[in-house]
Amino acid sequence: MTSGHPTGGAAAPREPGPLRLGSKEFGPRDRLVMAIVNRTPDSFYRPGVTWDEGAALARVDEVVAEGADILDVGGVPAKPGQEVTAHEEIRRVVPFIAAVRAAYPDLVISADTWRHDVGRAACEAGANLLNDTWGGWDPKLPDVAAELGAGLVCSHAGGLPPRTRPFRVWYDDVVADVLDTVLGLAGRALRAGVDQARIIIDPAHDFGKNSWHSLEVTRRLSELTTTGWPVLLSASHKDFVGETLDAGIEERLAGTLATTAVAAWQGARVFRAHNVAQTRQALDMVAAIQGDLLPARAVRGLT
Amino acid sequence: MITAAAVVPSPPLLARQLTGRQVVLPELREACAVAAGRLLARPADVVVVVGAGPQAAAWEPDGQLNLAAWGPTRGGLGGRSEPGKPGLPLALGIGAALLDEAGYAGRRELRAIDGGASTPDCLAIGAEVARLDTSVALLVVGDGSARCTPAAPGYFDERAEAFTASVETALRTGDMAALAGLDVALAAELMATGRAAWQVLAGAIGPRRRVPGDVLYADAPFGVSYLVALLDLG
Repeated sequence: MTSGHPTGGAAAPREPGPLRLGSKEFGPRDRLVMAIVNRTPDSFYRPGVTWDEGAALARVDEVVAEGADILDVGGVPAKPGQEVTAHEEIRRVVPFIAAVRAAYPDLVISADTWRHDVGRAACEAGANLLNDTWGGWDPKLPDVAAELGAGLVCSHAGGLPPRTRPFRVWYDDVVADVLDTVLGLAGRALRAGVDQARIIIDPAHDFGKNSWHSLEVTRRLSELTTTGWPVLLSASHKDFVGETLDAGIEERLAGTLATTAVAAWQGARVFRAHNVAQTRQALDMVAAIQGDLLPARAVRGLT
Repeated sequence: MITAAAVVPSPPLLARQLTGRQVVLPELREACAVAAGRLLARPADVVVVVGAGPQAAAWEPDGQLNLAAWGPTRGGLGGRSEPGKPGLPLALGIGAALLDEAGYAGRRELRAIDGGASTPDCLAIGAEVARLDTSVALLVVGDGSARCTPAAPGYFDERAEAFTASVETALRTGDMAALAGLDVALAAELMATGRAAWQVLAGAIGPRRRVPGDVLYADAPFGVSYLVALLDLG
């Protein structure tokens, strides 16, 4: 781990508290669905499906109707490829965020970016959360979040630069490394002035990790949730699911939902998902098993 | 002396908390509430609730259904049953809750009867209630056949239809002789758990009497026959 690792004190464990996003406040036992809408022609899952702005706006209507709590808008695919400049990234996401904000004044909007200048433009257009998947690569991003009152996702990417693939990565203890990084980034965010109630931590499955690492992080997710910081799970259709199940990109929903349930059981609070309705259902099922949600309608054996 | 009598069923789903987020069978709930309201509108010194239990017993008047037995969940479903204190038998618990929901705070007696008691025993228990030297409003809690349809808990028994119709007619016409004459073995085979309670009603009003009756609900939406009725004793 080289770049992206902050200096200064790590954030301490804390009591679980409300998560504030935009004007909304979510309790520690709420489970939020973050719907993915990518403004890219080449993201890994169903590439280009929301490249067209009309299609993207229609998709927003759909995920809102399906129960999404947060919309996550990205303009740059995670994989390596043709350069997307900050200027181009802004062109892809910012007018779209403005259009969504106009249509949905209260919807929580997240901008999936590592760049502070993109983050600034996104927040000025109405974004409430900066989803920094690349582990704090741009040290000015927390300043933007603090200045504009936005939230910040503090992720573990194993120190990899944006848009790079893991190559022979290893950890003495991947969960310890994740904790070290995300709490370090949370500490940096606090020092920058980001509201404590708007900070989320994310182990970032597949980022700087092989599939063994992502499975281990999932297995031991409670070590993250017990820090008291809200945990984001971003596992939807990722390669570790595909490798585990020997499943192609279109055959990873069951594996995604199983991962979702295991993470929810251990206390994850935000779930980044391509399949909003199915994710919502899986989370409601976990919530009912945990006793946080009443069954919709119980009649069996009670007649 | 019996001043009025009401008949209600006791599916656990009448406990509002047990059905989850949705209200199930609002029309049945409403019929039960109307029956309770009309029963309590008649001045009486005490409300006696009669329903089947594991054995004949008087229960403490502040008893409640133990919701955790039917709907265990983290934090519980509420209700005021105390830990360690046994919950009421289902029929009495549903009857007591109905009185609570109607806002009844007066004297109440909760009498469990043996669901398999013989007809003479049931009639005798009813007669004993009628002989109390106070005025009594009688709440009879009992269910019809649980074998009305193939989806019913007890599957389908073709004899259920005629049995159910005979009870409904008996309540509609206030025909106590018909209730007293119900076939004990057939009722048991049809999983009509309210038979004993209905025969206590016949014993209380008089097994040869006929009084005006009003059936407020008669249906079997889950294959279990639910009957709600009010008998007017003038």
